[in-house]
Amino acid sequence: MKILVPLKRVADPDNANKVKVAGTKLETTGLEWKPNPFDEYAVETALRLTENGAATKQRQGEVVVVSFGPKEVEATLRAALATGADRAIRVDVTDDKLDGDLVARALKAIVEKEKPDLVLCGKQAVDGDSNQVGQLIAEYLGWPQATFAGSIKSEGAPGKETALVVHREVDGGTINLKVTLPAVVSVDLRIVAPTSVKSVYTADGFKYPDGVRFAALMAIMAAKKKPLVEEKIETLAADTALKIEYLGFELPAARKAGVKVKDVAELVTRLKSEAKVL
Amino acid sequence: MLVSVPTTPATPATEALLRELPSDLYTVEPSELAEYGRDWTKVFEPKPSAVVFPRTAADVSRVLRLASQHRVAIVPSGGRTGLSGGAVARNGEIVLSLARMRAMGEVDTIGGTVRVEAGAVTEAVHQHVAPHGLTWPVDFASKGSSQVGGNISTNAGGVKVIRYGLTRQWVLGLEVALASGELLTLGGALEKDNTGLDLRQLFIGSEGTLGVITAATLKLAHLPAKLDVMLFGVADIPAVVRLFQATRKAPFTLAAYEFFTPACLARVQRHRSVRTPLAAEHGAYVLVELEGAREDELDAWFAQLFEDEIIEDGTRAQHTAQARDLWTLREGISESLSATGMPHKNDISIPVASLQPFVADLEQLLAARYQGWEICLFGHVGDGNLHVNVMKPDAMDKATFLAKTSELDQTMFPLVQKHHGSISAEHGIGLLKKPYLGFTRPPEQIALMRQMKKLLDPQGILNPGKIFDAQ
Repeated sequence: MKILVPLKRVADPDNANKVKVAGTKLETTGLEWKPNPFDEYAVETALRLTENGAATKQRQGEVVVVSFGPKEVEATLRAALATGADRAIRVDVTDDKLDGDLVARALKAIVEKEKPDLVLCGKQAVDGDSNQVGQLIAEYLGWPQATFAGSIKSEGAPGKETALVVHREVDGGTINLKVTLPAVVSVDLRIVAPTSVKSVYTADGFKYPDGVRFAALMAIMAAKKKPLVEEKIETLAADTALKIEYLGFELPAARKAGVKVKDVAELVTRLKSEAKVL
Repeated sequence: MLVSVPTTPATPATEALLRELPSDLYTVEPSELAEYGRDWTKVFEPKPSAVVFPRTAADVSRVLRLASQHRVAIVPSGGRTGLSGGAVARNGEIVLSLARMRAMGEVDTIGGTVRVEAGAVTEAVHQHVAPHGLTWPVDFASKGSSQVGGNISTNAGGVKVIRYGLTRQWVLGLEVALASGELLTLGGALEKDNTGLDLRQLFIGSEGTLGVITAATLKLAHLPAKLDVMLFGVADIPAVVRLFQATRKAPFTLAAYEFFTPACLARVQRHRSVRTPLAAEHGAYVLVELEGAREDELDAWFAQLFEDEIIEDGTRAQHTAQARDLWTLREGISESLSATGMPHKNDISIPVASLQPFVADLEQLLAARYQGWEICLFGHVGDGNLHVNVMKPDAMDKATFLAKTSELDQTMFPLVQKHHGSISAEHGIGLLKKPYLGFTRPPEQIALMRQMKKLLDPQGILNPGKIFDAQ
C-alpha cells in the first residue's frame, strides 16, 4: 500500500507566553516548532499499516510525507523520514498564503501525480483547529472518507489491500465503517494505542508500545539521504486565492486573581450575590 | 483541612515571640505546619510550632531579633525541595518562610545580572530573564518549586553543573540577616571585589545555619543558541565512562551528561505514561545535551561511537518537544521513585576517574549483603555525582528498612572514603547525612565549622541540629 501523509508543523504550545500579535498577523519569529500531534499520529499509523509490527525495519509499501512551508519545514519532514517514511515533498509557500481549501486543492494535485492508495491525515491541526483539509481532499478527489479514526484494520492480500475497517470516534461511541481504497482517513488520539492499527502483515494479538515511535540514531542519519523534493504552490494550484481571510488576532484576556473565602457560608453568599449562579 | 499533626505545644517563649508579631505575619494552622515543617525527605515527622511569612528584609530582621531575645529556634525555609532534611522543623521551631519575598528586579542586560528576593522561584527567575536572551544556569527537576534563597544556602547542583558549575559560581551579591537581626549586604553586582575575606561564600551552602538570605544579585549567562539532546543505550557502567571520555574528546560544548539504569527507567514508566525511546533494553542509558554542535560533526561522531562499539543504540530529539520528552526520562526519576515506592537516597561524589572501580566495589557489596534488593542508580556522571537509591522491598516494614539502610550506609561510606569521594555531592548534610559527615570531613574541620557557627550564631537559634550538633 502506498500512503500519502500531509504533515503540518505547529508552534509548540509551550511557547504560549512568547506569542505576540503584530497587527493582523501572529508574530512567529523565535517560536519553537513541532509536528502537529495528530499528524504525528497519522505518520505512526501509516508506518503501522505498511509493516509487520514485529519487524519494523522492513517497509511493506511506501509512505510519502508532504508539508507546506518555508525551508525550515524540512526539519519536520526529515524527522518523519527518520521514523520510517520513504520520501518527502515540501511545497514552498509561507503560512500566511495558505488556508485549508488551498492546501486541499494542492494536495489533490499531488495525489493525482503520486497515486497513493490512501491519504492519511491528522483530524485537525492544533494551531488553527480548522478540521477541514481531510474532508476537502476527499470531496475534491471524489474518494470515500472516514474521519476521526480511533482504529484501523487493513483488509486484502499483502501488497494488494482493498479496504480498511475504520472505527470512527463520535459522540457517545464509535461508528464502524468499511472504506474501499483509495480513500481518505483522518486519525484521532486513540489511533496510537497498542492495538489500534492492524496491518495485513502484523500477527493477531501483536501489541505496539503506546504512542509515537522515536527515531533510532542510525535512521536519523540515514534520513538525511532520503529523497526530499520541492514543489511550487503555483504549479499545483491554478488559483492560489484564499477563501479565508484573517482580520485580526488578539491574545486571551488576562485572568483576574481569585479570592480566598473563609468558610462555606461566605462561599454560598458570594456565589449568590457576586457570581449569581445560585 | 483534615490533616492531623502531632503539634508540639508552643513553649511560653514561642508564644511570647508570636504575641509581638502582627497576626497576618504567621500561622499556626496544623495543615500549614505539616506542609512547611518538611522538605522532600519523608523520614522526619514535621513538628514546627508556627510558620512566619515575612514580607521584607526588615520583617526578617525583626523576627530574628525577637528569636534571639526569646531564644526560640528558627528554621529558614524556601521551596522545601531539599533531600537531606535541611529545612525540616521537628522540634517545635518556628519556620521562617521566604515565600512572600519573591520580587525580581530589572534585568541588567549590560552587566548580565539581576537582583531577586530570596523567595523567587528558580523557574520564575529563568522566565524573568529569558526575554533578554539570558538565563541563571542553576537548573534541576524541582526548579518549579525551589527558591533562590534555598538554592544558594544549599549551594544547589543539578543537571547543568558540568557546564556551568554549582550555584556558588552564579551569585555576585548577597543580602543576609544574621541571628542577631543585623542585616548585611555582601558584594553587589560586581564580578570583581577582591577586598579581604569573601564573607558571602560563608553563607553559600551553609544550609541556613549561619544567617538567613533575604536577597541576592545573580550573575546571568547567555542562553545557548542551539541545544541537541540525545539518549544512548550502552552495555554497562564501564561503557558509560567510556562514552564520557569520548564525549569529552569530541569538539562540542557539553551541557549535560546524565546516566540512569534500566531499573530507574522502569520506575518512571510505572509512574508516568512515557514510551521507551529505544527499541531494546540496554544495560545503562546516557542522556547527553550538547551546545551549538555542527550537524556534520555530530554525524561523524555518532558513526565513530557505533564503530568503536561504545554505544549500542541511540536516538536524538528531532524538536524541542521531543527533547523535553527525553529529559522527562531523567528528571522524572526522583519523583517516580518516591511515587512508586520508598527509596533510601544517597548522593555520592567520586572523582570521575574512580567511578568505575567504585561502582564495581559497590556492586560487590550489594551482591554480597543485599541480594535481591532493587537498586536504582542515576546521576550526573559528568561531574562524578552518583545517586544511589535503594528501594524498600514491598514486604519489608519501614522501620526494618530504615535500620537496614543505615547499616548499608555504614558499609558504603568507607568505600566512598577509600575512593576519595564525598558522602554528599549536592544534597547537603541537613539531618539525614549528619551522622556521616565524618566520612568526608576530618574532626579538625568540623571543629572549625563549629567555631564559625558560634561566632555568627552565639545562641544557636538558626537551624539548630543541621549539618552538625552544637557539641
